[in-house]
Amino acid sequence: MNRLHTLHILNKTPDHPRFSECLGTLGPDDAVALTENGVLGLVSSKALSSVQTYALAADLGARGLSEDNLGAAPIDYAELVNLTLQAERVISW
Amino acid sequence: MTHSTTHATTRTATPSFTLVITGAPYSSQAPQTALSFAKATVAAGHTIDRVFLYGDGVHLASALVAAPSDETHWPKRWAAFLEEHEIPGVACIASALRRGLVDGDEQKRYQLGANNLLKPFTIAGLGEWVEGNIKSTRTIYFHAGA
Amino acid sequence: MGMLIIIDQPPYGTWAGREALDMAFALAAFDQPVSLLFSGAGVNWLRKAQDTAGIEQKSVEKNLAAAPIFGIKAILADRAACERYNLDIKTMIDGAQLTDANAELMAQYSQAAFAG
Repeated sequence: MNRLHTLHILNKTPDHPRFSECLGTLGPDDAVALTENGVLGLVSSKALSSVQTYALAADLGARGLSEDNLGAAPIDYAELVNLTLQAERVISW
Repeated sequence: MTHSTTHATTRTATPSFTLVITGAPYSSQAPQTALSFAKATVAAGHTIDRVFLYGDGVHLASALVAAPSDETHWPKRWAAFLEEHEIPGVACIASALRRGLVDGDEQKRYQLGANNLLKPFTIAGLGEWVEGNIKSTRTIYFHAGA
Repeated sequence: MGMLIIIDQPPYGTWAGREALDMAFALAAFDQPVSLLFSGAGVNWLRKAQDTAGIEQKSVEKNLAAAPIFGIKAILADRAACERYNLDIKTMIDGAQLTDANAELMAQYSQAAFAG
């Protein structure tokens, strides 16, 4: 398991200013967990970063998004909890 | 960096969480995401030290929410979860008073016509958040999305 | 090290920024190291000569001026956001420092949080 410095929990749509602010502060050892409307970032034209990206399956499903070929690893709430403990720190955007 | 050392020591014990909810029910998804997260935390055997409601999040502690019967009643769902697992649920006093959420004591203090704090929630200051932040392995925030 | 409280909302028209400042003051009151970062529209907190009599609110400028006295370590302002909102060190309140809100800055703090 690689080092996970900061887990960024991102629940904003790509149109929200905080979406860009979040992407602007990503470091190489960081990961992004898309929750709620953050998962819409996976189908928007706005490029997500190159860091490891996760997406809550419940939020993908609610918005009619398939878990395949989205460029993010689908996770459930238990895996999100694990990620918050693996990371050295967590920021909720 | 100092934080690596801090977390190395806290990880040896059972991980514990402080959850901070700042998004209101029925105007944000925050109470649902936070509750699903909280249930997964407990199911994994971790501890939740407390749930702190801040800003618009205090509306979750209102006893006067009357949601349509075919919608989830988020205050009741949260209250049941807190009672089942004996987790303190605390609404920030400054946020609560501004938004018309009061317990019996605050009703008397401000001579208000009613009180509306849902059990088992209590009202306290930001010191509760600071304490949780120091004590818990992780403090996780649930804000309103957009 | 310590906590970085981020304010990215403008000072008036919304309360989230005020509630973020309360969080910073609470941490400082318990001797927890805390700094403030103003980013996005939040940099408008730092503009000099705010006159709020006409909107019946207290000026945040005074609150912010008290921050160092109450133990808040630093008041940081994202350089790019300041440029977008036509703010520079001369038009900003005393004590604010320009910085770049990026991974290097965030790595200096053990935690970072928004109020809402």
